This record gives sequence, structure tokens and C-alpha cells, in this order.
Amino acid sequence: MGENAPVDLLQGTLDMLVLKAVSLGPLHGYGVLLRIQQISQNRLEIQQGSLYPALYRLEHEGWIAGEWGQSENNRRARFYRLTAAGERRLEAEAKKWNEFAGVIGSILGTAPEQL
Amino acid sequence: MSLSSRVRTWWRAVIRGADVDAQVDEELRFHIESYAEDLMRGGTPREEAIRRARAELGNFAARKEDCRAAWGTRWLDELRADLRYALRMLVRSPGFALVAVGSLALGIGANTAMFSVVQGIILAPLPFPNADRLVFLWQNRPGVPQLDPSYPNFEDWERTSRSFDRMSAVVFHNFDLTAPGRAEHLLGMRASSSFLATLGVTPAIGRNIARTEDQPNASSVVLISDRLWKESFAADRHVAGRSLILDGKSFTVIGVLPAGFHFLADADVITPLRPNMPAIYAERSVNSLAVLARLKSGITIGHAEAEINTIQQNLDLLYPDANRGTGITVTSLMQQIVGDVRGTVLLLFGAVSLVLLITCANLANLLLARSTARAAEFGIRTALGASRGRIVRQLMTESVVLSLAGGALGVALAGLGLRVLLAALPQSLPRSENIGLHLEVLLFTAAASIAVGIIFGLAPALQSARPDVQGALQQVSRGTIGGRHAILGRLVAMQFALTLVLMTGAGLLLRSIRNLWDVNPGFDMQHLISFQVGLSPSLTRTPAETRIGYQQLLARIRQVPGVESADLTNIVPLSGADNGGPFWIGTASPASLPEAPHALYFWTGPDYLKTMRIPLLQGRFFTPDDQLGSAKVVVIDSVLAQTFFPGENPVGRTLTVGHWGAARIVGVVGHVRHWGLDDPGTYNPRQIYIPVYELPDAMVNDFFRTLKLLVRTTLPVGEVMPAIRNVVYESSPDQPVYAVSTMDEVATESMASRKPPIVLLGAFATLALLLASVGIYGVVSYSVTRRTQEIGIRMALGADRARVSRMIVGQGVRMAGAGLGIGILAATTLVRLLPSFSRLLYGVGQRDPLTLFGVSASLVLVALVACYVPARRAASVDPMRALRHE
Repeated sequence: MGENAPVDLLQGTLDMLVLKAVSLGPLHGYGVLLRIQQISQNRLEIQQGSLYPALYRLEHEGWIAGEWGQSENNRRARFYRLTAAGERRLEAEAKKWNEFAGVIGSILGTAPEQL
Repeated sequence: MSLSSRVRTWWRAVIRGADVDAQVDEELRFHIESYAEDLMRGGTPREEAIRRARAELGNFAARKEDCRAAWGTRWLDELRADLRYALRMLVRSPGFALVAVGSLALGIGANTAMFSVVQGIILAPLPFPNADRLVFLWQNRPGVPQLDPSYPNFEDWERTSRSFDRMSAVVFHNFDLTAPGRAEHLLGMRASSSFLATLGVTPAIGRNIARTEDQPNASSVVLISDRLWKESFAADRHVAGRSLILDGKSFTVIGVLPAGFHFLADADVITPLRPNMPAIYAERSVNSLAVLARLKSGITIGHAEAEINTIQQNLDLLYPDANRGTGITVTSLMQQIVGDVRGTVLLLFGAVSLVLLITCANLANLLLARSTARAAEFGIRTALGASRGRIVRQLMTESVVLSLAGGALGVALAGLGLRVLLAALPQSLPRSENIGLHLEVLLFTAAASIAVGIIFGLAPALQSARPDVQGALQQVSRGTIGGRHAILGRLVAMQFALTLVLMTGAGLLLRSIRNLWDVNPGFDMQHLISFQVGLSPSLTRTPAETRIGYQQLLARIRQVPGVESADLTNIVPLSGADNGGPFWIGTASPASLPEAPHALYFWTGPDYLKTMRIPLLQGRFFTPDDQLGSAKVVVIDSVLAQTFFPGENPVGRTLTVGHWGAARIVGVVGHVRHWGLDDPGTYNPRQIYIPVYELPDAMVNDFFRTLKLLVRTTLPVGEVMPAIRNVVYESSPDQPVYAVSTMDEVATESMASRKPPIVLLGAFATLALLLASVGIYGVVSYSVTRRTQEIGIRMALGADRARVSRMIVGQGVRMAGAGLGIGILAATTLVRLLPSFSRLLYGVGQRDPLTLFGVSASLVLVALVACYVPARRAASVDPMRALRHE
């Protein structure tokens, strides 16, 4: 899908974060942004421009579903919720990520005497 | 991931693109406003907050596009853009578009028309369930591949064979209908009771022929066609039980055939075979009928043929005098119907595909020439970052747009062409009623158009998209003669080669037809009419009455002003009619009838020879006294005389005609080319004339109905025929006059198998010539444009105008000439390799020098004319301006 590896990695990560965010309850696009920032305690900076294409891509894949609803300030907004397929996807992604992080962590934590 | 959600979102993005756009728009706006509100709550001024919210989201339009693209519509959007661009480019160069689309329309149109012929005649299935299991069974003997089986053999096959679900016998027999309604001659059949069931057809109204009705002496019943039901019975739903007078006999209607029922011909009536069968059909040695059968599921033609031949070998042993040496051939119904036509149709389809190749060469030439002209455009696009793939795709879109436009116009042309074509095709062409622009044909055209656009657009596109950015931007290639010219020249040569092949084919056929018309058929074809009359039932109650009825009819016709002479015959030369059987010299009958020599039997009246102007070589022809009760006499033709009485006088000798008897030979007449003007004399060339009034009583009533009247006139047919009709109707109004044709028409129809190839090859050759001249003109004038500077230099250095035009014309003629060499080689090879073509030739060699020379000369002439205009333009180049042009 992407042109080179770093974008791919970022994109994959963003997808996972979006899935996690909506798994906690239906959110509109701006809400997804806020929730990720909130959970990460503002340590993750999300490119706002890439958020919406990501939402559309996830909907295209069938992992989230969008529906029109009322926002907290009484405006029309599109709310996304996790689908069953999305739940499985999030689980798989999280598992992969944890394995990956574990492996990297153990490599980085290796001391010379352990070799 | 889920396929259904992908398809759903993609489909929404494609079909409701505007809705999706509006949705993204609303979402993004909501985002900006919410974000701006949050910022304002943090103390940012309103203006600043909105600006920042917008800036962080980035380019609004680009985001919208990204979202749509996320639903998988990118390629579609690009295709749409490519299409828009392609159309704009074509509109901007209308000349190019017109020539390209016009060429393609002609090429694809011709192919569409021809494919609809292939589809209708060869590919479309026959209109019967499991038609591939329907077969004919034929007898054969050495030298004669296809003989009608005899009725007794059919009965034995039907009873003993295990390979067939059903077997039935059928004889075409035409009836004279006298009531209800106006007297009319009807096509009809006599069929065994299993006939319709074998085909898998059930009557639309009423019932099928019962087994008990197909017995000797059963009551007379009839099935009628949908047409007859509507015209003679006013579509009466309760028609069963009403009656019909056929050949003077009353038949009870039992059912109506389904509308559109067509088995080899459009029969209007079907009667049971057995009760209406002439007595002589009971003879095992009389080849009388067609046997149709339905193979059991899973049984191949080969298996069935092996089984039925084993059965026949036993029959040969049981009945050696009637059967010895008889084999059985099983042929599929389709093969029987389409036969030789299949080869001709495929040949013509091959020819028309050459026309498409010529068209495609034009397209490739145009695209190549244009790609050179557009080099700067692609250079700029590449410089701006377009990938090679994108440019190739853009160019392919353009060529496919061209070919599809050509295809669409081609279908319209094919519609017109087919109408002309169907009118020009001979009546005898089988299954021509199936030909039309059906769905299969349109699918073929669409596929062919897209394929042409892709295949012939690809090479020019790849060449254009060569990553030669700098060169293209600087346009240094101007004026040089590069590889592209070589390709253009080769394409033109190929066009001329293919055109020569098509023109040679058409030329050889034209020469053959000319030669055929010069053939002496053995009789005088001018001022001769043939027709049939159904004599009134009131005049044909007994055999004696029938004979007198026809004699009186002839006497009246001979009185008509403009009639020189007239008489009866059972078969008309060149009409394809066959009526023959065994004969032997002397009276001792041979051991086996099938092994005895065979001859054509002409049952004629005494004035036949005079009417036909066949020369009498020895002895005499018949007189009115040669009739039943007098001594049996025959007249033989010169071929029989030379074969069986070499160096002797046959007059006075005895000859026995099978199933009739021993007779004295009283005369020898000239041989007639019965089987066609191109008759090579290999099949049944011997001819015996028998006095028609000596026909035994038992056969008279059935046989006389099938007799033809031949009339020699001194006035044109159009003037004589109405008077003859009047005479016939005056003697009795219930006598139909039908099957009227001049001998010229009969001769023309005998050459019918050559007509479609001549008409179509001629049309294809003309198209090819047109396309090739457009091709050479385009390439030469393009090269003149490219060489303007070079020509300027040449002229500045002293070349005069004549020399420049000679150079340009020379270039064109060299391209064409190379093509002619290859074309002559290809044409002579193809003629040799294609028997379906060479069998159409007559009196002309496969490499006829006159045809080859004439065709080559006219092609050189066309090349000269096509090069003349660009050459004149080259000669009028102003050297100063050409040099400054850079």
C-alpha cells in the first residue's frame, strides 16, 4: 500500500490505535483523536491529516462501522464503532505488537555476560 | 477483513461518489469546528483557532480524495481522468481520430458481419434438444459415398440396432393442396411415426402420428405447419379432425407443428410414410429415403457406425442381389446440413481477419507517427514525475477508446453490410436464417475491439514512454530517420502483402466464374424455362387419365404464342436433381445390383431433345408412339456409348434398366453436364433416356406429379409465362404453377457455392485496398513532414523538384514493392494449402500469372497515386523556410 517501510509501520500502528480507541466505545473522528491523546497522556502526536483516510480504510476493510449520530454539543457527527471482525483484528494486532515489543525489549535488554 | 464490506464501500464510492464526498466534507467540517472550539476554550482568538484547525488537517481537497481512495476508487478515478484526457486529445486532432476510427470501423465492421455468419451457420446449435446426438444414416458403395437407404434396410436397422434411442425414415414429397382455400403447391414430408420424437419435437396442437397410422392401408392423416394452420384454417384451435385435399386425396388433420419448425426445409405438411409410400420403395435395392436417428447418450458416431455396419454385413449376406458391397456411413445432422459450407465460411472468416490486420497496421502506424509528434508532451509529463506505467496506461486508454469507438461504428456498418450480404447470398445457403447481430456477435466485437486497442496500442505506447526526457524536451530527433520509419515501412509492406493475397483470391475466383460461363453444358441454356404444374385431381383419377392430362396440357402450352417447343422431364440438368440406378448390357441380370454400373435416368417426352437442343448423334429420339404397350426403347448419351460400345454401333443393341426392364437402344445423343458446369465427369456420368409414357401404371400418379415442364421460347420469359399460366388455369383453376425458373437461373444457382466467396472476397479485397492506400498515404505524408528540413537542404544543394518527388514516390513504391513480393509468395502458398479455396477454381492455375500480374500492377498504381499528393507537397518545399524552420 505504501511507498516505503517507515510509513507502513506508522500506518499499521495508527490503525491499531484507532481500533483500540473505538473499542472503548463509539467515537466520532475528532473523538478518536482526543481519546488517543488522552490515553497516551499527550505523548503521541497524531497527524490529523492521516486520521480520516485511516478511518475510511478501516471501514472499507469492515473492521469499524460508521453511523450518523448526535455529538456531545448536539451536532450531527459520524460515529464509529468496532465490528466483530474489527475486534478479532485488534486482538491479533495487539498480540503481534506485544510479541514484537517483547522480542525487541529482550534484545535491547541483553547484557554482554548473557551471550 | 471482509469482502462484502469492501465491495459495499467501493460500490458506494463508485455509484454515489457525490454522497460520499458530501459525507467526508461534513465530517471534516465537524472536525475543524470542534477542534477550533477547543482551541478557543483554551484562549485562542476565533480567527486564529479556525486557521490552526484547518492547517493541522492539511489540504481539504486532498484529504477528501484520500478518503475516497481509501475505499478503493483510485484506479477508477484515474481511468476517468485518462478517459477525459483521451477524449480531449482526440477532439483536438479530429483528422487523426477520423482516419483511425474510420479504418477501425471498416475493419471491425467487416469482421463483425463475417462473425455473425460464422455464428449463425457453424456455431449456433440446431433448434432441437441435444441436437448433437442427431445423425443421418447413409448407404454407400465403392465410388458413391452417400446413397439413400432403402426402406427394407431401414426396417431391419431399426429393429436390430442398439446404438440409437430412436430411428426414423423420411422422404421429402411435395403436395398439391386443392382445398381448403386456393390451390397451392406445398413442401412436405412423408415420415415414419417416430420422426418428430427422434427430433425431440412435440406438436403445438393435437398429437403426433401414431404407430398404427404408419401401417400399409392405415387411414390418411396429416400434421400441418403453423403457417398452413393460420392461412388455411384461420388458426382454429380445434383444427384436429378437419380435412385437407392433398394430391386429390383427403387427409385428416391430427396436429399442428410448433411455429418455426424447420427440418432441412420449411415443410408445410407431414404425412405418415408407410400408407403413402410408392410400391417400389418396398424393394431392398431402391435407394429411396433418408434415415434420421438419435444416438443413445454416451454413444459416439464411431461406435454407432461400427455396430450398424456389422448389422449391414449380415443383411448383405441375406440379400446379396440387393445389398452386396453396401456400407453405412453415420453423419451428424449438423455436418449434413452445413457440409462444405463450413470450409467456405471459415475460409472467408480467415480472409476478413486479414482485413482486420490491415486495419490494425493503420492504427499502429497512426499511433506511432503521433507518438513521435507528442514526444515533447510525454517528456514534460515524465519530467513532472509521471511514472512510465502511468504514461503507458494513458496511451492505452487512448487506443482502447479509439478501438471501442471504431467497434461501435463497426457494428452499425455491419448491420448495414449484413442486410446487403444476406440479399446477395444464395437461397441454398443452409441456416442463413440464423444470421444476425446477436448477443454472441456483439460480445465478440467488444472483445475484438478491446484486444485490438490493447495489442496495437501497446507497442507505440511503450515506445512513447521511453525514458528519454532530455531528448524529448530538446526535440533533437527532428529530421533524423530513426527506427520508427523502418517499422512504419514494414507495416505498409505488410498491408500491401495482405491486400495482394485477398485480391489474388478474388481475381482467381472471378476468372473461374468467367471460365464456367464459357463452358458448353451440352444443351442450349438460352430462352429455356422450367416449371411444374400440379394437374387437377379431376384429371388424374387413373394412370391413363393422368398420361392424357399431361399430353393435353402440353398441347395447349405449345399453342401459346412465343413457345417454340415444350416437353416433360423428371430431372432438369444443372438443378442438382438426382435420379439414377443400375443398368446392364443385354438381359442377363448381374449378381448384385449395387455392383452393377449405374446411370442417370432421364424420363422424358419425345420433344425433350428438340426443346433442350441436345444434338442427336446416331439413330432416333422418341416418338409419340413410344408408350406403354409398345416395345421398350431407350436412348443413351455419348459417354455411355463410348464406355460400353467402344468402336461399335450401339443402335439396335439391348440394354436393361434396373427395376424397369430390357429395352432396345434406338439412338445416341450428346452428353449433358448434369452435375454442374464444372462437372469433372467422375460421379455418375452415364445418361439413359427413357420414354416417360412407358412408365408402368403403378408408378404414374406419384411420379408424374414430380415431372418438370421445359419450354423453349422465342420471346422473353416475362412475356410468355403469364400466357402459359392462363392456359393452365383455363383448363382447370385448381392447378398450381410453381418452381418457375429460367435455365440461366438454374445455371446461376448451380454455381451458388462460388457466389458468397466471390462477393465477400471481392468486398474484403476492396476494403483492404482502401485501407492500404490510406496507410501508405499516411506514412509517406508523415515522412515528408518529418523530412522537410532534409528536403530543404537537398534543394538548397541543387536537387530539383522532379528529383525530390521521385525520391518520395520511390520511397513509397519501395515499401509497397517489398509487400508485393511477400504477398505473391503468400498467395500462391495459401492457394495450395487451402483445399476449401482451390476446389472453387475452374480452368485457372493456382498461380495464374495473368491474375498475379494484374493484381500487382494495380497495387503499384494505387501506391503511385497515394504517394503523388505528398510527393507534390515535398516538391513545393521552400528551401529557405524549411531551413529556418529549426
